[in-house]
Amino acid sequence: MTDMLDPVTTEVIARHVLAAAEEMGVTLMRTAFSPNIKERNDFSTAVFDANGDVVAQAEHVPIHLGSMIGAIESLKERFPEEDIRPGDMFLANDPYNGGGSHLPDLNLVAPVFHDGKIVAYVANIAHHADVGGMVPGSEAAVCESIFQEGLRLPPVRLMREGELARDIFEVVLLNSRTPDERRGDLNAQLAANHVGIRALTGLIERYGADLFKNALASYLDFTERRFHAAVAELPEGRYAAEDFLGGDDPGTVARLACMLEVSGGRLSFDFSGTAPQLRFARNIPNQALVATVFCVVKSLLDPDAPANGGAFRVIGISAPSGSIVQPTPPAPVGTRSISCSVLSDVVLSALSQAIPGRGFAGSGPHHLLVLSGTDPRNGRYFVDYETVAGAIGAQAHRDGLDAVRTLTSGSANLPVEALEHAYPVRVERYALRRGSGGVGQFRGGDGIVRDYRILSDDVTVSLSGERQDVAAPGVAGGGAGAVGLFMRDPEDEGSRELPSAVQEEPLPRNSILRIETPGGAGYGDPKARDPVSVENDIRDGRPAINR
Amino acid sequence: MGDLVISIDTGGTFTDLVIHDRSNGRRTIHKLPTTPDDPARGILDGIAVLLGDAEWSPEAVHLLVHGTTLATNAILQRRYAKTGMLTTTGFRDVLEIGRQRRPSFYNLDVSKPVPPATRDCILEIDGRLDETGLEVVPLDEDAIRPAIESLKHSGVVAVAICFMHAYANPDHENRAKEIVREIWPKAYVCTSVEVLREFREFERFASTAMNASLLPVIDSYLERLQAELKAAGIAASPLVMQSNGGAVSVATVRKAPVNTFFSGPAGGVIAAANLAREVDIPNLVSFDMGGTSTDVSLIREGSTAKRNLLEMAGFPVRVPALDIHTIGAGGGSIAWVDPGGLLKVGPQSAGAVPGPALYGRGGEEATVTDANVFLGRLSGASLIGGSMTVFSEKSIAAVTALGDRAGLDPVDAAAGILEIVNVNMMGAVRVVSIERGEDPRDYTLAAFGGAGPLHAADVAREIGIGHIVVPPRPGLLSAIGLLDADRRGDFSVTRLLPASVENLPALREGVEVLSERGAAWQAGEALDASSLTAEWCADLRYLGQAFEITLPLKNGTFDAPALAKLIAGFHRRHESLNGYTMPDQPIEIVTLRLGLAARRSVSESEIPTPATTSVETAIQTHRDVWFPVTGFVPTPIYERIHLKPGHCFAGPAIVEQTDSTTVIPPGASVALDARANLRIKLEGTI
Repeated sequence: MTDMLDPVTTEVIARHVLAAAEEMGVTLMRTAFSPNIKERNDFSTAVFDANGDVVAQAEHVPIHLGSMIGAIESLKERFPEEDIRPGDMFLANDPYNGGGSHLPDLNLVAPVFHDGKIVAYVANIAHHADVGGMVPGSEAAVCESIFQEGLRLPPVRLMREGELARDIFEVVLLNSRTPDERRGDLNAQLAANHVGIRALTGLIERYGADLFKNALASYLDFTERRFHAAVAELPEGRYAAEDFLGGDDPGTVARLACMLEVSGGRLSFDFSGTAPQLRFARNIPNQALVATVFCVVKSLLDPDAPANGGAFRVIGISAPSGSIVQPTPPAPVGTRSISCSVLSDVVLSALSQAIPGRGFAGSGPHHLLVLSGTDPRNGRYFVDYETVAGAIGAQAHRDGLDAVRTLTSGSANLPVEALEHAYPVRVERYALRRGSGGVGQFRGGDGIVRDYRILSDDVTVSLSGERQDVAAPGVAGGGAGAVGLFMRDPEDEGSRELPSAVQEEPLPRNSILRIETPGGAGYGDPKARDPVSVENDIRDGRPAINR
Repeated sequence: MGDLVISIDTGGTFTDLVIHDRSNGRRTIHKLPTTPDDPARGILDGIAVLLGDAEWSPEAVHLLVHGTTLATNAILQRRYAKTGMLTTTGFRDVLEIGRQRRPSFYNLDVSKPVPPATRDCILEIDGRLDETGLEVVPLDEDAIRPAIESLKHSGVVAVAICFMHAYANPDHENRAKEIVREIWPKAYVCTSVEVLREFREFERFASTAMNASLLPVIDSYLERLQAELKAAGIAASPLVMQSNGGAVSVATVRKAPVNTFFSGPAGGVIAAANLAREVDIPNLVSFDMGGTSTDVSLIREGSTAKRNLLEMAGFPVRVPALDIHTIGAGGGSIAWVDPGGLLKVGPQSAGAVPGPALYGRGGEEATVTDANVFLGRLSGASLIGGSMTVFSEKSIAAVTALGDRAGLDPVDAAAGILEIVNVNMMGAVRVVSIERGEDPRDYTLAAFGGAGPLHAADVAREIGIGHIVVPPRPGLLSAIGLLDADRRGDFSVTRLLPASVENLPALREGVEVLSERGAAWQAGEALDASSLTAEWCADLRYLGQAFEITLPLKNGTFDAPALAKLIAGFHRRHESLNGYTMPDQPIEIVTLRLGLAARRSVSESEIPTPATTSVETAIQTHRDVWFPVTGFVPTPIYERIHLKPGHCFAGPAIVEQTDSTTVIPPGASVALDARANLRIKLEGTI
């Protein structure tokens, strides 16, 4: 930490850099084609320094931060700097060879040059609704190998000195079930990076490359100091936590274990004791693990601190190779986001033990559905990738949040009126799943119920969910959250439950698919709940019964 | 009817009034504290003072235009009416679910916002339309009566009717409203289509619920205001400013209070647009910096910029509005040192109480105002022309203490506070310009509000703007803008059709719907058709995108050549906004828009007399003022009232007046134009 720039110049230049990241985000959202990106904001943008340390991420999806970092790392590993030219952009998605965290997230990285040298990188990541593989949507718990999950890309040069590499572009399009959307979304990603490069180039011209680089380095140092200050307040010690994912076979579970050691002003997270990697796609690759840990640390210690590489310097992570949280190829990883929700509960639990007065009950992860088939209104094949939010668990001092994505994810819902325009379905119910949050002195958040009526003849659905067997655990006497549920024709005689991982289940015209997402857990003895809150619970349709 | 036009700008802290005499262009102003318990009282008191001072009779008042923050404050302070909602079966929780996003990304202690209608007051009614407006399930009319009885019983006074896909076919909503009216004639009731005829249920339902919750609030306020004006002998009925920059009758606002969230700041933007015409600079950045917040907007080719979505108390409100970007930073923003040692400014504000350390009311933290005093930019002697005592030693102590915490000497700390707040301002300008595809360097900065002229030169330099204009009364510009407000109504209808000739009939039908709604509005406003100009627009996007670009549609004519022109215009605009086009991609028309405006002739203000004395006579004193290139230098302090058209001088200089202070940095030059606007040219500007 030598030659730190003064705190004013640093803050000023850092603000400009964050503004550039945000401007990239606006461009991407404004021009994207798939509902998943344009309506649900399942994308992120960021600026990196020449070393590949993240400097600023626009607030979109926390888990994306890990894979943007990974993409730049793997780019630097594979391409020496002299092999990279101004106007180049690199596309990558592979968790094992491209720094990605699952295949539908396409990373696009571009270097920013000044006087023939790389002074920064800009990157954006967008979740594409389909990149091939055996299941529409390219994200399904049923996959048993990453080769089933879609097109794998190490960093490849999508733009060469300002020229689009049409051959590579076509490979990506050909591998998707919905190439037109991919074309539009990739154009939007290219435009976002162009905007970022233009903004940073202007900044470098204005401040000079040396001052610019120095400011980025100082910004990371200041952030590191900020996190050090927060960690220094924690009592040294070791704090353990665990929770469970559904296992490979029905009725089995798979352990996620975390041991946090606070010592010497650092946080070391050790995931030894976590179960071996799963056969199905619930594994959490390294970049998703990193993002989850960072996200929890920031949320608990200093939510307003910048999301940048300075923070990572106070965090150490070790995880056994071949475990769920450090899988080895060709382990499938598609639905890592749902698993990360449970993992973040584990990390939250461990870290909150180190903070007096804090405490967290478990959360309800979102559920994933991918509907595909032919839209009878226009004869086109469609893939509708949607996530339905669960809820956040209670804390030691407050109720959980209803119907939100949990900590590591951040994308929005697809409005029903937009959905029905885009795909041949009718939503007949979109409601809070009242009472699904665990009871307690503070109640867990309620999940969601969403019913889809199918309006086409050849529709299939693929489903993935977590916490359908293992409920979000209550803490200090609080009740567990309700488990999630997938169901066919719930109101009919022939109604039946579907498993938590389903591949291309046919849904005949007029059938109903119901998604019930899990609730968050409660905290503290329900008898200690204050009477006004109890009254409100009754008024709001939340029966005060323990499950 | 007489010659007086009165404008009233009721803010959170102050109510500003301006009387304009059309016979001679003379303007009289009055500023008094807002009376939050009954804003009408403060207004009447102010009018009485103004009329009394000039010995005008109330009958001489021809027109009143009112900007009010009442709706905004009612929502932010949750002082709105108990509101019920009738909605489509299955969708009772739309407002609570929102868009499934956490209210704060990383801070888990932030709760979701409380909807204006809570679940116990939301009842479901069977009846469903599909996305084209076709009936799938008929409306269960029999269910409405008991639902309303039950809402009534629970103390609800306003009802929002929000049905799925109503934008495509309002029949169910209209029928439900009829039934409500039949059984409960006194209810405040509105349908989602009346508020917003566009798709996306959460945004439409939230806008509608918010509107319903404000109906009784605005109604009783305006009724009282009207009655008291009448009792005071003023026959003219007030017009109320809306977020879209147009003033409308009380009757119209009473139906759509949700349209008044920018009623306050709109006046400033209108004034900036008028300023653009007056000084013949078509492109202005309107920069209105006050004590707790700053409003930034763009005047492009002499016209105000518009948008169709704003956020209020955590909920989206999709209504036509001026494109005003507000940030929570102003003179009262507090500086602090983060745990890593970085200097930060805001978003906490010292507000009016305790206020900056300078005020001596118990505030001990250094604010932007204190930094300005420390650096000699603001007078440490008095504020508001001597009517407020201040304590500059408290500013110095606060800045010094902050510097100690940041490891900065006090001057660097004060300069740092200004630099950081200015870069925040730069961010706001960036949002309304660069993010909308406009290069701010092609613009002139119009600085107003109490603190705007204080920061204008630094903010302009930060963005790369070379020219600044400061109007004669920067602290009262919002009220002055209200004097010149147009009458305006905006209407929209979602169509969602590919932009191709076979859809022309359906598009024309949409135009007809809008024409009918415009005609009804015109009749309600009692406006003559010949006084109205119609602006037709269409929102387009590439088929598959979710964000639209609004383009003008001449005369609302939909024929093949007009469509071709629209399409060509869309490709061009997409290129300039986003850097590329997709010539082979089909284009979709999403929404048709009609804006009806009755322009009022701008009220000519009195032409100031040109300078007859040398500019030096305006210099009141000298004091040391700090600038980055010079450090502290002796700087002349000019009195604005003595600066006249034709005067020129160079920076460094400070211009003081009761409502604001202007900083002119070294190397900049100033000339007063014929209207006595300060025209500042920064160093290195051609």
